[in-house]
Amino acid sequence: MNDENARGIVFNLQKFSVHDGEGIRTLVFLKGCPLRCQWCSNPESQSPKPEHAYNPARCLTAEKCGRCLSACTHGALELVNGMIMFDIRKCVQCFECANACPTEAQKIYGQEMTVGMVLDKVERDGVFYARSGGGLTLSGGEALFQHEFTLALLRAAKRRHIDTAIETCGFYPYEYLEEACHSLNKLIIDIKCVDPEKHKAFTGVDNALILENFARVTKDFPDLPILARTPIIPGFNDTEEDIRAIRELIPNRATVEYELLPYHRMGQPKYGYLCRRYPFEGKELDKAVMKKLREIASSLPLDLSYLERKGS
Amino acid sequence: MTQVLSPQEDRVINKKVDRKGRERIYKILERNQFTVPHVDVERAKYFTESMRQTEGELLTLRWAKALKNVAEKITVWITPDQLLAGRVGKLGRYGILYPEIDGDFYREVLGNLAHRDKSPFLVDPDDLKVVMEDIAPYWEGKTYHEHLNKTLPTELRNVTYVDERGLKSKFVVSETSSYRSALQWVPDYKKVLERGFIDIQNEAKERLAALDLTNSTDLWEKKPFYDAMIIVCDAIMIWAKRHADLARDMAAKEGDAKRKAELLQIAEICDRVPAYPARTFREAMQCQWFVQMFSRIEQKASAIISNGRMDQYLFPYYKKDIEEGRITREEARELLECMWVDMAQFIDLYINPTGVEFQEGYAHWEAVTIGGQTPEGEDATNDLSYLFLESKRDFPLNYPDLAARIHSRTPERFLYEVALTVKDGSGFPKLINDEEVVFLNSIKGCPVNEALDYAVSGCTETRMPNRDTYTSGCVYVNFATALEMTLYNGRMLYYGDDVVGLETGDPCTFKSFDEFYAAYKKQHINLLQKAFQQQVVVDKLRPQHFAAPFSSVLHNLCMESALDLHTEKIPGGVDYSYFEFLGYGTIVDSLAAIKKLVFEDKKLTMKEVVDACRADFKGYEPVREMLRKAPTYGNDDPYADTIARDVDRICQLEAMKSSQERGIHVDVRYVPITSHVPFGKVVSATPNGRHAWTALSDGSSASHGADVNGPTAVLLSNYHSKNYDLINRASRLLNIKLSPKSVEGDAGTKKVMDLIRTWCDLKLWHLQFNIVNRDTLVKAQKEPDNYRNLLVRIAGYSAYFCDISRELQNDIIDRTEHESV
Repeated sequence: MNDENARGIVFNLQKFSVHDGEGIRTLVFLKGCPLRCQWCSNPESQSPKPEHAYNPARCLTAEKCGRCLSACTHGALELVNGMIMFDIRKCVQCFECANACPTEAQKIYGQEMTVGMVLDKVERDGVFYARSGGGLTLSGGEALFQHEFTLALLRAAKRRHIDTAIETCGFYPYEYLEEACHSLNKLIIDIKCVDPEKHKAFTGVDNALILENFARVTKDFPDLPILARTPIIPGFNDTEEDIRAIRELIPNRATVEYELLPYHRMGQPKYGYLCRRYPFEGKELDKAVMKKLREIASSLPLDLSYLERKGS
Repeated sequence: MTQVLSPQEDRVINKKVDRKGRERIYKILERNQFTVPHVDVERAKYFTESMRQTEGELLTLRWAKALKNVAEKITVWITPDQLLAGRVGKLGRYGILYPEIDGDFYREVLGNLAHRDKSPFLVDPDDLKVVMEDIAPYWEGKTYHEHLNKTLPTELRNVTYVDERGLKSKFVVSETSSYRSALQWVPDYKKVLERGFIDIQNEAKERLAALDLTNSTDLWEKKPFYDAMIIVCDAIMIWAKRHADLARDMAAKEGDAKRKAELLQIAEICDRVPAYPARTFREAMQCQWFVQMFSRIEQKASAIISNGRMDQYLFPYYKKDIEEGRITREEARELLECMWVDMAQFIDLYINPTGVEFQEGYAHWEAVTIGGQTPEGEDATNDLSYLFLESKRDFPLNYPDLAARIHSRTPERFLYEVALTVKDGSGFPKLINDEEVVFLNSIKGCPVNEALDYAVSGCTETRMPNRDTYTSGCVYVNFATALEMTLYNGRMLYYGDDVVGLETGDPCTFKSFDEFYAAYKKQHINLLQKAFQQQVVVDKLRPQHFAAPFSSVLHNLCMESALDLHTEKIPGGVDYSYFEFLGYGTIVDSLAAIKKLVFEDKKLTMKEVVDACRADFKGYEPVREMLRKAPTYGNDDPYADTIARDVDRICQLEAMKSSQERGIHVDVRYVPITSHVPFGKVVSATPNGRHAWTALSDGSSASHGADVNGPTAVLLSNYHSKNYDLINRASRLLNIKLSPKSVEGDAGTKKVMDLIRTWCDLKLWHLQFNIVNRDTLVKAQKEPDNYRNLLVRIAGYSAYFCDISRELQNDIIDRTEHESV
């Protein structure tokens, strides 16, 4: 199949992204993730399919509008004491309510797009990429969860000379990552925790595959810029031992960078829209701890022989 | 997540002030910066005194004599602790009167000036008496404003004024010529620095001697003109000399030895300039200041006289002084800042109630242009360019308005320091794009070398000091009313049954979007034609009321042709007239919503839209939300941007026709200053979901909150909505608000640089940033006393947030803040 016609589910396209890769970038968020991180700030990304969400704060109220109530034929929306109540068990994800809603209180996360559609939108900012060294960053969810679509997207982007990066959790067969790296300009990969038990408890999966993929990719692609990242999550990996252990896995090479991201709760409201409970209620990250961990993360001397080999 | 503060927010909120090396400046500043300004009547008094005695003579000559009378009699001042001499009003913030513009209604307005809610001024009771008994009576029946009001035919008055006397704007087709005597101007400072007024006066004398006085034009027009030139040169030299005398007097009485020495140095400098060429940086600065202040005495050049390309014409003096050890970099900076604090105290005073609405926050913007290219097309950046940026970063004052010229080869360091200054958060500098401005100005007729040497003038205008000759204040057209008139068959809800526009029929009977758009276009063109007709009247009347001998003596073309700068047509000059487009985003979004929802998706009927707007969406909330969700301008969405481009095209094609008819060049511009707020007050709810009587979209920026795809999309919409194949266009004002977080650290500075580079590639005219947290603005609104010195970018200028009206504050809070992910 022609790469440009490949189809996938995209839930957001964010321009002027300046924190995920070089320059001014466009972030494309893809649906689906194999992990279930308890702190996840994009809960709407986890399911691979489009899904319904309801944000009562945007609702005009049944008195002024009520269009969703008449649109829903499955009894998932009901009027209780003047309030619109959503029952997820009855919802069949037909999205009629979202189509009827004028305010996006009833909303669909995820829409099907072709590679061509995505890249046409991404390319509109080409003039900014040219000046800033920016381009396209694929994120998620897990960027490689819809691997056929993602690989087609990366190949097509390369043909259009768009700089590409992916943000990935590393949990999938190595072949996917290997193929992606042939079209990539930068790999951004999470290493969350070295302890397999803790990893499984907080993300739902074992970390063996992730660590193995990371080791292989750094070895197989010595010239590819790689950014390893650790989100610092209180109660999960916010100790000095945790970070030292991860730091030891990061090759000391000029093409590999390591960065810590502080935990934040900006995704919390979205759990409510999806009728889910936020598992990390009330947790906070100590600023002093974060500062200390950052020192550890950047403390190891960098091996610059790579640069010398390049003659720069 | 923790909030990131801009350096300005950090200073204001945490009360951090670094006075080191700026003790003098802070002392002057804090003495009077936050006081209510007062009116000084002396300029008006001595101007009027002379005008009474010269009736019947050539206007330019009368004006020159009046200026000489002012120069001889007005109180001269040296502000305590100042290193520069000269101000034209009492200590503290002040404004002066120009009764030739608006003296006919001083008697009813001036007594109440202290109590008006926008930009109030104090008037001393004795001064008020002088105005009431001496100044106002002379001008009643003689002002330009009265003449214009009488001359405009009924069909033009009907869209211009509400009241009989023409004091209240209708805010449909608004003239601006009656509250300023000229457009903002840039005198040729370089000429004075290099030649001095004795030499310039000698040129006038030679030209006078060369006249053939048997020829009647030479005798009756050119001779009095050159007489005026000679007199006006005397006037400024007399005024300067009086400062030298004052400085010596003050020195004699001064006990402090250091200050005494400073005063004696001031006296020496004022003996020298502006009569003779400047030799040092100090002389050059004083000379520039005299020229600038005297230009203000001459006329109300809109929102004040600009400073021109300061880093260019001052550089030779600075360089020489530094090399020869006459001045240090710090001393030079102190001298610049001495100018800024005195500049900040001169407030552009609008007596006319409409004028006040147009520029809030005691606005005046003496643009200082830095960077750009030389007349030969080389990069022009020098060490002074950096000194200006440095001064702006460390010193929290809203004057002068700094304008950085950017071009394709602007050095990285300059761009870096510009980005760093932008990140400070007080809105400086604004950016003007050589790649657009030089091209447009030269293709419209200015020689390329002069186009390359342009200076920013006022808000976003540009000036070629020896080539520009068009000085009339131009018309502001509220096209949002054309949209409203399309909905209500030529009427506006605000003006009831009055048919303000054309009766284009009931929109509910329209079968297609094309039919609706055709009706809109008729209304739009009708307003535009009225605007052009009005401007023709303005152009004819102004030379009968205004003359500018001082500006003329500094203009090569005026000197050569012996014509006052306010003459309708000067040989060799370029006349760039314009009209301002009000409500661009509002209109485009409304048209896009109607096209999509009524005619394409058929989700709403035209009647539902009209009923909802008429009810200001009360009971029609879902309709409003649907309208708001339609494609909008500012998101790089071709659906809306195509409409935007066509609306711009209508304007340019009509402007082209008008240009051919009038023999001058007419442009469409998108620079509302603060007037999108008052213009919005007469416009009822619009089909983009905008509530009745609220602000219109501003300049070429998106409607409030409509631009949800970030700054790159805003810039691209701006690009795609232009018509590059046409040249009847000039500045587009563009605001971008960023959160301090999105440009944090060195990486953030780099992003700002990248944005600016790309903006330059896109050949957009203007760009300015507000980098401030929404929270800070909301808090400042609640606790003004803690935020007195918080500066925000308004429209081509920055003002203290607490000095502007609540409506404008809300407008600024609502401008979308772009947060990066």
